[in-house]
Amino acid sequence: MAKDLTLLFILALPLIGFAINGVFGKKLPKAFVGGLATGVVFIAFLLATTLFSGLHGTQIVKLFNIIDFDGLRINASFQIDALSIWMTLIITGIGSLIHLFSMGYMSHDEGYHKFFTYLNLFIFSMLILVLGSNYFVLFFGWEGVGMCSYLLISFHYNDAQKGEANSLAGRKAFIMNRIGDVGLLLALFMLIGQFQTLEFLRIGKALQDNAVLQGSALFFITLCLFIAATGKSAQIPLFTWLPDAMAGPTPVSALIHAATMVTAGIYLTVRSNFLFELAPATKDIIMYIGLATTLLAAFMALRQNDIKKVLAYSTVSQLGLMFVALGFGAYSVALFHVTTHAFFKALLFLGSGSVIHGMHEEQDIRQMGGLAKLMPITHFTFLIGTMAIAGIPFLSGFFSKDEIMAQALHHNPTIYVVLVLAVTMTAVYMFRLYFLTFHGTFRGGDTLKSKVHESGTSMTLPLIVLAVLSVFGGLLNLPGLFFKNAAHWFDHYLSHGTMGLDQVHNAHLPFTTSMALMIFASTIAIGAFAWAYLTYSKKGNIAKADEAQNGWERLSAQKLYVDEIYNSIFVKPLLALSDFAGKVIDIQMLRNGVYALADGVLNTANLSRKWQTGFLSNYLFWMVFGLITFVAYYILKLSVWH
Amino acid sequence: MALILLPLIFSLIAWWIPSNFTRIFGLISTISTLTLSAVTVCYFKSNEPILIDLGLRFVRFSIDSLGFTMMLLTNAVFFLVFLSNFKRELVHDIRFTALALLMQFGLLGIFTTNTILGFYLFWELTLLPIFLILYWFGNFEKPRAILQFFLYTLLGSLAMLLAVIGLMHATNQQTYEGLLSADLNALGNTSTLLMGGFLLAFAVKIPLFPFHTWQAETYTKAPVAGTMLLSAIMLKMALFGLLKWVLPIFNGIATDFWRWPVIVLGLIGIIYGAIIAIRQNNLKTLFAYASLSHLGLIAAALMLQNGETNQIAVVQIVNHSIVSIGLFLAAGIIEHRIGTAELTGLGGIAKVAPRFAFWFGVLTFVSLSVPFTAGFIGEFFLIKDLFAAHNLTGILASATLILGAVYMLKAYQAPMFGPTKVTSFEDLHWSEITVFAILSIAAIYLGLSPQCLTDFVAHSLSQPTL
Repeated sequence: MAKDLTLLFILALPLIGFAINGVFGKKLPKAFVGGLATGVVFIAFLLATTLFSGLHGTQIVKLFNIIDFDGLRINASFQIDALSIWMTLIITGIGSLIHLFSMGYMSHDEGYHKFFTYLNLFIFSMLILVLGSNYFVLFFGWEGVGMCSYLLISFHYNDAQKGEANSLAGRKAFIMNRIGDVGLLLALFMLIGQFQTLEFLRIGKALQDNAVLQGSALFFITLCLFIAATGKSAQIPLFTWLPDAMAGPTPVSALIHAATMVTAGIYLTVRSNFLFELAPATKDIIMYIGLATTLLAAFMALRQNDIKKVLAYSTVSQLGLMFVALGFGAYSVALFHVTTHAFFKALLFLGSGSVIHGMHEEQDIRQMGGLAKLMPITHFTFLIGTMAIAGIPFLSGFFSKDEIMAQALHHNPTIYVVLVLAVTMTAVYMFRLYFLTFHGTFRGGDTLKSKVHESGTSMTLPLIVLAVLSVFGGLLNLPGLFFKNAAHWFDHYLSHGTMGLDQVHNAHLPFTTSMALMIFASTIAIGAFAWAYLTYSKKGNIAKADEAQNGWERLSAQKLYVDEIYNSIFVKPLLALSDFAGKVIDIQMLRNGVYALADGVLNTANLSRKWQTGFLSNYLFWMVFGLITFVAYYILKLSVWH
Repeated sequence: MALILLPLIFSLIAWWIPSNFTRIFGLISTISTLTLSAVTVCYFKSNEPILIDLGLRFVRFSIDSLGFTMMLLTNAVFFLVFLSNFKRELVHDIRFTALALLMQFGLLGIFTTNTILGFYLFWELTLLPIFLILYWFGNFEKPRAILQFFLYTLLGSLAMLLAVIGLMHATNQQTYEGLLSADLNALGNTSTLLMGGFLLAFAVKIPLFPFHTWQAETYTKAPVAGTMLLSAIMLKMALFGLLKWVLPIFNGIATDFWRWPVIVLGLIGIIYGAIIAIRQNNLKTLFAYASLSHLGLIAAALMLQNGETNQIAVVQIVNHSIVSIGLFLAAGIIEHRIGTAELTGLGGIAKVAPRFAFWFGVLTFVSLSVPFTAGFIGEFFLIKDLFAAHNLTGILASATLILGAVYMLKAYQAPMFGPTKVTSFEDLHWSEITVFAILSIAAIYLGLSPQCLTDFVAHSLSQPTL
């Protein structure tokens, strides 16, 4: 099949699933609805692998023309290259596993067909985002995934207790994303102003041909792009929506808020590498924001007791890590971490979903414990995920994180030290989560314990596949240390097939330094494992109740009070301003001013009595009629006069 | 000609229609007008305006592609308003049907007339029916609320009348072509003054800050069909007047003078309206302020006098009609079935009326300008052009994206998802579903291929500046 046709099929399949389930889903049997939704994404994945194996240079597929003005022509066109196809593989691959998982997870939900409809729409929007060959199409997808994210976060709006909180969480996510979107919008306007096009290839070429573009213009463009990225990828200052987004069903958290949508900001930066490379100041900003985010979010994760909240802050923190890599210009390193993170974070979220499902919607780890025996498959795969993210040697996370650490050490040793702190916290909170959930004694009471069960095959199968990927994902990009020939496959793959990236070279450290780094990192991960084992399993400590927390624990559990701070410096003043403008300016000043004028007019005309006796219609009629007569008179007069 | 006169004829016939058939009659007459105009448009070439000259000095019509677009929009809006009110008391009242059709006639006249005096006459003609609709069917406790609307309008009309007379006097021309060829720059500041007269009338109708205060109250108290007519089509005549008449004719000293004042007022409207909307408790009031915000954007963009911006502005005008019919219909449905549109009294409707929840949701997203809807294209390009004119204008205008999300999601979530306060709610009637579906399809169609509309109107928008 021709490549362009394959690409269109990849895009069309989720859309077809969306349309069929959206229109007929209610009447169709559940197995069909879920099967169809999963099937279309899986076939899209298979098609994407054919594109992947036949990848050769960059190819543009033009679908139709959206708008065509003299100065600007915007097409609905798509781009096949190493980057877009890689993202497509992640989205459809992980996506189909999560769809499969959802068939089990959502099986008792009355909104079953609606869920799969939204999920397919999301996959479609996300594919538009990564496959578009220009910023406009990207923006299409960008806004689209934001909408799907909203729909899926507030999916359980009918829930008796949490319904309102769920819908508010969706709203918060949508609004914060919109703030980022404005950044993207402004960046697009500036790009149009500078280049008269939004096509990636043409902008890249223009920059190559003519390097005299103003530095400040590029600074503002890239800064706005980064603002957009902070919205979607939950970086400081726009990160607070992501933990709240955990209100959505767990497969949604896995798919949208861990593996795919939140990496859109990283994709955007990698895609725009030719712009960022010319704006060193923005790269510094990215690096520092990423650093601050990864550190703060890791700190907040230390004392969260909701299994999904821990993972949410962990996601924010890992995304921060990727931005640090981007700040150093190590695009393929960041994308490698995106990939392994998609594996193990999807695994962890699905694992937590399996736990929540088995625990009958209980999410507090203080109610769990000892689940290892009750849910063996979930336990084993969750352990693998935890080890991968914590950086236990030779699992995928070990390699991808090590690359980022190496970049940091090469560029700035101080940054490296800060990152070590963040990475240590990651290992600590993850093993704390693992031991509290799966070891020790069950704390949720006997009635609940008797009901806890391992999940069905449609849920455990994705867990196993993802666990395998989490273990072996590192093979994609082995360090040059041991495997001279097989090493850095992913770096080569990406940089040879993506515009701009062949100009960028990652730093490589000398042998002894790399070796030392790896050993040091392994020590940290294993140390954290040992510590958590001793604290939570051996000694049987459990997480404290909210009231018993003090000092830093309270700060961590209360997320440094960022929500409260935002509330008092942004939300409340805006509401107060709204009240002031609506009541004081609009009604008291403007409207009552007009009323006073109106009364004045009536009094002068001595009509107020008549007005009040209810002859308004007559009055109006004569008023208008009078006007018309007046005009008619003028018509006649002018006609005669001419 | 029949295209324009048809509603007038129907409006006159309406008085003799027995009341049982009123609503059918309203529907049939609007359908036939719509069909006739839709058929005509198939035979219409956008570069050949149809000229209707009856040999009378002041009665001349000329339909170009912009006029046709507005005409189709008018006819579609009236059809949708009648259809969406099919289950209401209102359409059983012959007075409403007749007045609405009379108003339709007035609007078609405005969009097609070729003389400046005709423009003014039709402008006035549309006011009479809407006053009476507001007065007879509205829910105004105090007469001075409606008086406010009236006074504003009167003030604007008087200013426009003086400007029309002044213009005819100064140029000795009264047809569109004549006025275009006249050199108004020679008049110097007088042309600025004359344009100011028009702008005052338009500012009330668009509305622009600070001439908007009649809007919130009128929209809230008016019967929902009246609000739809006002918001979806009648107020568009001001934007149309700006686009077709005032800006091309006064191009030069006068437009240079007024450009930035109007843009600034538009921007104030965008932000001011959106901020106020956030805390409104009544759905209709909330949507009224949202309207102020949306229309400010169009008005500001029109002042850029850029051919491409104007084309997109037409897309956005159509989009706003779609959104306002949809949202006011939703507000009307809630008000009609529960008896209040106050958010504090609402909550949990989604549980009992899933179909309504779905369609209201779709329209909410249409108004939020998500991808695949007309508003996405409209907002993107209008703000882009404002940004190109001045960076700060673009940045301020883009605040509408964020604030819009704040108030629209509140407006949707509070009644639909909020704590359950509504336990029984009659789900949508087929006529209402049809309206919602038509609106959604139109928005999505325009969102995917705006080019069909922009190309269609391009000719009549580029010609005047030649």
